[in-house]
Amino acid sequence: MRKPVDLVQGTLDMLILKAVSLGGLHGYGVLLRLRQLTNGQLDIQQGSLYPALYRLERQGLISSEWGESEARRKAKFYALTPAGRRQLKAETDSWQRFALVVAGVLDASPEKA
Amino acid sequence: MKVFGRKRFEAGMDAELRFHLDAYVEDLVRGGLDRVEAQRQARAEFGDLEAKKDECREAGGYLWMDELGGDVRLTVRMLARHRGFAAVAILSLALGIGANTAVFGLVDAVLLRTLPVREPDRLVFVQAAGTEGVNGGPPYPAFELVRDHAASFDGVAAFSASSMELVIDTEREQVRGLWVSGNFYDVLGVAALKGRALAASDDRIVGVGGSEGAVAVISEAYWWQRFGGDPAAVGRTVRMAGGALTIVGVMPSAGMSVEPGRPIDIAVPMMLSNPDTLRDRGDWWLDVVARLRPGVHGEQARAETDALFQGYMSDLTMPPAIRRLSFDHIELTPAARGLDGLRRQYATALRVLLVLAALVLLAACANVANLMLARATAREREFAVRLAIGAGRGRLVRQTLAEAMVLVGAGSVLGIGLALQAQRALAACFAAGNRQIVLDLSLNARVLLYTVAIGIVTGVAFALAPALRAAGADPAAGLQGASRSVTGGRRSLRLGRALTVLQVALSMVLLAGAGLFVRTLERLHGLDLGFAAAGVLTMEVAPDRALFGTPAWLALQQHVLDRVRALPGVGAASWSTMSPFSGRYRGSGFFVPGVEPADPRATEVHLLAVSPEYFDAFAVRLAAGRVFTAGDDATAPKVVIVNETAARFYFGERDPIGQLIGLSRGQAPDRRIVGVVRDARHDSLRAEVRRSVYVPIPQSVDRINRLALTVRGAGDVGLLAGPVQEAIHAAGSNLLVTNVATLQQQVDRALLTERVISAVAVVFGGVALALACIGLYGLLAYAVARRTRELGVRLALGATRGGVIWLVLREALILVAAGGLLGMPVIALLGGFARSLLFGVAPFDLPSVMGAVLLLLVFAVLAASVPAALASRLDPMTAVRGD
Repeated sequence: MRKPVDLVQGTLDMLILKAVSLGGLHGYGVLLRLRQLTNGQLDIQQGSLYPALYRLERQGLISSEWGESEARRKAKFYALTPAGRRQLKAETDSWQRFALVVAGVLDASPEKA
Repeated sequence: MKVFGRKRFEAGMDAELRFHLDAYVEDLVRGGLDRVEAQRQARAEFGDLEAKKDECREAGGYLWMDELGGDVRLTVRMLARHRGFAAVAILSLALGIGANTAVFGLVDAVLLRTLPVREPDRLVFVQAAGTEGVNGGPPYPAFELVRDHAASFDGVAAFSASSMELVIDTEREQVRGLWVSGNFYDVLGVAALKGRALAASDDRIVGVGGSEGAVAVISEAYWWQRFGGDPAAVGRTVRMAGGALTIVGVMPSAGMSVEPGRPIDIAVPMMLSNPDTLRDRGDWWLDVVARLRPGVHGEQARAETDALFQGYMSDLTMPPAIRRLSFDHIELTPAARGLDGLRRQYATALRVLLVLAALVLLAACANVANLMLARATAREREFAVRLAIGAGRGRLVRQTLAEAMVLVGAGSVLGIGLALQAQRALAACFAAGNRQIVLDLSLNARVLLYTVAIGIVTGVAFALAPALRAAGADPAAGLQGASRSVTGGRRSLRLGRALTVLQVALSMVLLAGAGLFVRTLERLHGLDLGFAAAGVLTMEVAPDRALFGTPAWLALQQHVLDRVRALPGVGAASWSTMSPFSGRYRGSGFFVPGVEPADPRATEVHLLAVSPEYFDAFAVRLAAGRVFTAGDDATAPKVVIVNETAARFYFGERDPIGQLIGLSRGQAPDRRIVGVVRDARHDSLRAEVRRSVYVPIPQSVDRINRLALTVRGAGDVGLLAGPVQEAIHAAGSNLLVTNVATLQQQVDRALLTERVISAVAVVFGGVALALACIGLYGLLAYAVARRTRELGVRLALGATRGGVIWLVLREALILVAAGGLLGMPVIALLGGFARSLLFGVAPFDLPSVMGAVLLLLVFAVLAASVPAALASRLDPMTAVRGD
């Protein structure tokens, strides 16, 4: 297995929004879904998840609710708010443009004279 | 920033993180790991749990609380380590904040508080007015007219305070009474605490009262004081003026009347008062309060009332000149804060006290700022280190502000304690004497709010400079230890000097102010009263009502005098209708045949009925003619004695002796002047001496009822109070003795405002002086420490020790001079502001200013002497070598 990639700064929030957008999840669920989506290729420090979740909640991008987990334990579930949905769309667009531009630059080869 | 929901937040966070760890452990175990190993791994992969929690708190908006808590804990630890600094800072702030809280409490009680009545803003006083200003309410018949016919009001009530005599069980006592129209409490909207309030139906029939007969209500304070709060007091019968009164209710003390500061014990319906006075169309003894109907404009109500008043006045014979003065028309004045007697009396004094207190607070601020600045400089290295290892500048500023807030908090708590003590003392001063002023000085929300507000302003004011300094700390310079350089700390030294100059200026102003007030008091004390106040005891004596105005009372008076004079230590004793500075006054007309002055006020004199020994007992000297004798009795030709002011005013260069005069308008002059006595002050030390006229008691104009007894004795006359009262009771067992006081006490009470102000000003001046000394000492000590190397070089190069001492002293003197110059214009300003409180001293009083300067110089030299001595004892070698 290849060595996991470091997370580019500021992208964790975006990834969380994406994970949550696919259906309500608790914090641990967010971690599992991100691992699943990235095939374990992204190194996400587990503890960093929660400050990010709290920050997003405070910004009004996600909302939370206490519920019951699959193992019948009390857990806090997160869901995307309308504002979060808009934010995710905006970030996805700008990320894709950014990635394209960067990729374009990196792909450049010397021009033939 | 969030404050609330912190507990829920913490619990939720804990549960959530625990769930995460547990779920991960389960998954790992399911993957085949041993449980203990799984737990270890879960922990490890999670990262530092506590650090993550902190990040969560920050993300959730709660971290600042923890940091603030940390700041406060750090500050408290720091203050505990630097006890001297903490003690001086907190005490300075406590004095400053305490002074302001105490003074503002007074201002609140006297100037700001509204009456505890329903919708106070709709209440107005109905007052007759003229060129002399407003003059109380109209006579009773006019009040009835307004009450029954003015449509602008929801209710119109009358009241008049009067001292009353009660007999409860068999005991006679004098109480502070209030005659009220039956609807009084209804108009005010004040309900009874126990029983019921008076009602209009209690005030229907003259001499009887209402359907339930004669009833009255008492104040809660009196209920406790006289009946011990016994519920059975309601329904009890007491006797007043020969008739029985049933107490039907207990009213809240503050809602008993509408005259702030003047406590009332009992309120009795008007119909039970003197029927003659009720009928009299020209007796101006009432105050009238009315409740405006909603939506009625003040001017509209005034016009309606005035029309009724003008109609009433058209049937009344009153010289037009007098009418113009005070009885010209009706004015409505706002009654929300009650009658303004107290406010008028104390407004200036309180404003001056507020200014003085503000100056003290400013001095305290400057002092603490100076101390904090010195500490900030000393902590430069600490701050530099903290910055270097990554503390935010914001955090350092916040730390400084937290320090300020802890100091202010402690200072405020202590200050409120001091303020309560001071107020208790002040309240006791005002509550003494014949004319008690009872102020409710208990802390209320407004006073506390004021204290908190000035606390915050204070904290920000003195923490600003040190906080900015903390923010500007330079990690590199701090770590290099530049603080020992020759030029280091110049900036903070400059700021410290400025603050010290400010402190000196403030203490200069406060000391000079104290000088003004102390000298005013001295001047007033030094005034010639016209009588000898020392060694005189006075009291008021009332016989049984049945004796009022009878020859039997006259005989009893002589009997009492004989008894009292026989007491050892008594030199002279006399009767008079009132004693000086008792707060009582009786105006009368004085008509010289053939003279009709243009100004009606020119006929007014102050009238006293006295026994023959009066002038002897008060040591009022005779200027011409003779004093009264026992022969000037009811059947003898009527005689009067006038004082010099009256003689000069009415007769100029002519000899007044032998002239016939009259005491009432339109009557043939029937009294002959037989003597002229020296001027004696009666009620004010500041005002011109009144024109006074004395008549013998048997020839009095008024019916003689209560009289003042004056006893001149040797030594401490206060000690005679007991024996004299025994003698009085031995002469007539049913004599009621009240208001026992030495004449000196009565005079002192007239100077209450002046005494309070000068005492407060002296305390404030002392505090400011102490603060300035602390500031000066701190600054000089710091300057010497800073200049250790320079001073060492000077000493090494041959400077004398005396020279070094002079160097330090010179700085102190320059600071004092600068502060003094800065303070001068403020002193002049303050003096002008307080002009009406001064007496015999100019607003810019040179002796006061010089005294302040001298005091400051002496204390400045004292404060400077320690650092100067330290500087002179420096060892040049050590000093130059440095650290």
